[in-house]
Amino acid sequence: MENQTFPATLDSLDDLRDLVRDKALRANLDKKKTYKLMLALDEIATNIILYGYEQAGKEGVLDVITELTGDHLKIVVEDDAEPFDPLQKDLPGETDFSKPLEERPIGGMGIFLTVNGVDSFQYEYVNNRNRNIFIMNIQGTDA
Amino acid sequence: MNQVLSRRYVRSIPLTNKLSNTMSFHILAEAKKIAKITLAGELDSLSAREFQREIEKVAAEGPDELILFVENLTFISSAGLRVLIFAKQKIGTNLAIYIVKPQDNIVDTLEKTGLQHSVNIVDKYM
Repeated sequence: MENQTFPATLDSLDDLRDLVRDKALRANLDKKKTYKLMLALDEIATNIILYGYEQAGKEGVLDVITELTGDHLKIVVEDDAEPFDPLQKDLPGETDFSKPLEERPIGGMGIFLTVNGVDSFQYEYVNNRNRNIFIMNIQGTDA
Repeated sequence: MNQVLSRRYVRSIPLTNKLSNTMSFHILAEAKKIAKITLAGELDSLSAREFQREIEKVAAEGPDELILFVENLTFISSAGLRVLIFAKQKIGTNLAIYIVKPQDNIVDTLEKTGLQHSVNIVDKYM
């Protein structure tokens, strides 16, 4: 298990994606899965930074804990912002995505991409911290 | 190593007026306004702000077509996608958006979010 801390600012997204890329490489994830995991982390971290911290006028950090086992790569992002469960948000669906661009709802796309991009996405609130958990199976049969 | 790239991902080319059908005396010359922007590197919620500023500049000219050259764009998050939606909402329904040579992962994201129905994904723009 490794732990890395990032300041909760948009500047950290670059470094966060680098970290994911590095871990994915070590886990032997293919390019597609690596990209999806990177995108998922980027989306959730963006939400935490913009809404959990900036909009609330708070400063803070993101702790990123990675764990590589034989069959999966697990990345946990922890933060001290107000509790926010991304899975409780109504996600846009097929009907929204088939609407013309100018009539589409603008929110929810990031969480949609997250949930649909990783093999498992979980949320929990433990010890006054949000924990967003991303899991990618290694050499899994799923796409 | 991609940090330098991702900080300077956007370059905009001024709008050009393209005249067509000027050969024939009885046909009205049709002026089409085309805006071209090249995106390279990684488009996340930080760089999307820069992209949005470029779109705002371009929107002031009221282009008919927006051409995005994205061959060297390696990442786009929903923040980047929202700028595309913003462009359409700001400039108008009639705006045709061309996305030239997107990488596979980016095409995947466009398809997953249904955006491919509202933009034209092309291999090259003539």
